Amino acid sequence: MIIEIDGKACTCSPGEYLLNIASRNGFSIPTLCHHDGLPGQGCCRVCIVEVSLRDRKDIVTACIYPVEQECSVFTDSDRVKRQRGMILALLRASAPESEEISRLCKMYDAPLYERLTQKANEKCILCGLCVSACETLGASAISSVNRGVEKTVSTPYDEPAADCIGCASCAAVCPTGAISVEENNSSRAIWNRKFTLQLCRHCGKPVGTLDELAFAARKTGVAQTTLCEECRRKAIADEMITAYER
Amino acid sequence: MNRTVLVCCGTGCIANGSLEVAEALRRAISETKTHAIVETVIKQTGCNGFCENGPIVRIMPDDISYYKVKPKNARDIVNSIGEKPVEQLLYKNDEGTPVLSQMENPFYMSQHKTVLRNIGEIDPGNLSDYLARGGYSALKKALFMTPDAIIREVESSGLRGRGGAGFPTGRKWRTAAGFEALPKYVICNGDEGDPGAFMDRSILEGDPHSVLEGIIICALSIGALEGFLYIRDEYVLARKYVQKAIHDAESAGILGGSIMGSGKRLNLSVVRGGGAFICGESTALMASIEGRVGEPRAKYARSAQRGLWNQPTVLNNVETFANIPIIINNSGENFTKIGAENSKGTKVFALVGKVRRSGLVEVPMGVSLRYLVNNIGGGVIDGRPLKAVQIGGPSGGCIPEAMLDLPVDFDSLTNYGAMMGSGGMIVMDDRSCMVEVARYYVNFLAEESCGKCTPCREGLRQMLAILTDICEGRGKEGDLELLEEISRALIGASLCALGKSAPNPVMTGIRYFRDEYIAHIMEKHCPAGVCAALTAFEIDASVCVGCTNCKRACPTGAVTGEVKSAHNINQAACVACGACREVCRFGAVRAIKRRFAV
Repeated sequence: MIIEIDGKACTCSPGEYLLNIASRNGFSIPTLCHHDGLPGQGCCRVCIVEVSLRDRKDIVTACIYPVEQECSVFTDSDRVKRQRGMILALLRASAPESEEISRLCKMYDAPLYERLTQKANEKCILCGLCVSACETLGASAISSVNRGVEKTVSTPYDEPAADCIGCASCAAVCPTGAISVEENNSSRAIWNRKFTLQLCRHCGKPVGTLDELAFAARKTGVAQTTLCEECRRKAIADEMITAYER
Repeated sequence: MNRTVLVCCGTGCIANGSLEVAEALRRAISETKTHAIVETVIKQTGCNGFCENGPIVRIMPDDISYYKVKPKNARDIVNSIGEKPVEQLLYKNDEGTPVLSQMENPFYMSQHKTVLRNIGEIDPGNLSDYLARGGYSALKKALFMTPDAIIREVESSGLRGRGGAGFPTGRKWRTAAGFEALPKYVICNGDEGDPGAFMDRSILEGDPHSVLEGIIICALSIGALEGFLYIRDEYVLARKYVQKAIHDAESAGILGGSIMGSGKRLNLSVVRGGGAFICGESTALMASIEGRVGEPRAKYARSAQRGLWNQPTVLNNVETFANIPIIINNSGENFTKIGAENSKGTKVFALVGKVRRSGLVEVPMGVSLRYLVNNIGGGVIDGRPLKAVQIGGPSGGCIPEAMLDLPVDFDSLTNYGAMMGSGGMIVMDDRSCMVEVARYYVNFLAEESCGKCTPCREGLRQMLAILTDICEGRGKEGDLELLEEISRALIGASLCALGKSAPNPVMTGIRYFRDEYIAHIMEKHCPAGVCAALTAFEIDASVCVGCTNCKRACPTGAVTGEVKSAHNINQAACVACGACREVCRFGAVRAIKRRFAV
């Protein structure tokens, strides 16, 4: 089927998410809580667009809106600009330390409201990607805690979590760099826990935390690796060479 | 003649000691000679609705109602059976004449009891009581109807969901019935969370079988084999009676493996809600049943298609289900004879606040707010001027006095910025500050928002900060425009109905009471004399008679003065709580603008 995005005809299959269709067709819609490898959440609301369907025009979140019927989409209508501007302004007040939010605010002309109360030393925008990544991975070491304006992300009772494997996936998917990961040559500290790093037996580069590699081995049934990605690739290539020499 | 003594044992009356009253009555009956000639049965019933006058005791079939009964009155009541009623326990109408029957009591006589038909009449823990009043006859009838015929009957009734949104019940059932994916589920939403609202609690406590009957009929029509009643944990009595009702219905073969011997089955269980307001939102409620964090999801796919565990699900409110047996028994067409154009039937309201008679009332939809407040509620306490009626729970709106002739139905209220909600109705007099009221509700919503989406979580945080500033004298020019701008983002871009409706108290406040907001911001003055930072109290010496009421009510000892001479308030010690003004019977205490920093 065909839908129209900002006047351009775009083909899509029914049920496909609007954000996918738009990115495939070269439209850039800002997102914060979206990650291609994780289920859609629809919580940051910066990807809002206006959809005109029959005689109704609605604001929807592109990341989780399934296109079921032919419609016209406006990614930058006045209504979208105004509401997205307010959402970004609210996010800036809640995470004034985040460079990514400042960048988006500038890019999308978010109005500056000096009247808004700023949170001190905050980068987290509670998008939930870290929790989703941790859960999808199977560790479920962190979760959202409390509700409403008291909501935060943390480990159970804010104590070092036994379930945490120190993989730092949470930090990798975080759009604002709000999760602190400290790493030196032998250890990694995250979520108030220190993890020993497995160093590559070949080149000495860190491969991952011991907990993380054991977790991966348990899950996949493949023996725990002691090679970094690069050396692993090299090792496989070497094997291939000897395979042909034989 | 045999008598039945009905003792109201709803949560309100129990708190006032009705269990002790029932015990005292039992004792008095066994001790007095009346026992020999009169067979008297004591029945503990559900809530009569007039809780502020509880415990309520009724003698049937004489139809005499006694109010504020204490255990020490038990012997008098028992002795009076068949004789002259105990006059001091009767309710006095507006003319001061004692009335015997509830039908002569102005609180009850203007009501139209449909959903509440059995409450106060039957023992909620006794299935036979329900059966004796025609209970489960609608289910029996429905078992001989096709699912399509049941749904058609509900559709023709025009019944709309009583939980707040007013979605047509029949259409919801039809949609869920149309999907073939199995299993399907039916859910009853008993997570009533609006402050001051207790409609669903009273129905579950007073007539649990009528709700079960509605749920079973719904399950038959959509083909669900499993159902849940999600009841908030605080509703201890409601849960107890619902559990017992399920157990009794199963034992009687009405529910379970073969519904009334039809071979059709339905398994019902109770899920305890943990106390989060947001879990009253249908998709958050389903997440909670699934064992996940109670956060809503976007409803681009309706629950009727993908609800609980992504299966077709019908979720209705307690009151909606309680209407179903009536519709099946008396036909959908008859149901439409009561109510307004697009809002059929009756609605139960919790009428509370500064109203002379408060409690649980049921009226046909479409009656005016004025009728509810004046005819049933008896007007404002102490004859003070009525300022507004807050309707629709925390996300509702304040309707000003000038608009009280508005009919109470789903569409009229929405047009004016309020909403029907689940039926909470708070009457406010001229001593209510509309800015403070908005601040209170926004604070409630900021705490009870799930915090998942940005506009709701961050928008409410900022709105609360601005409203608090306004109430405490730090309001700035431009605040109203900013509040409106944030509101627009909440209404447009929030994920669920909580965020979309959360600005209602602020928006209606700015719309109908703009002057009051301006007075707070520009003049640093709270006209109602509520916001402590902006208010001082003074005693008019020419009016004060020196009754010492205010002096005794003052928590900080700021009021000085001797008996029978004019009193005075020491401003340095005063915290502007307003307790003195509240107790003054002569209007001598006045709120004035505070002229110094706190």
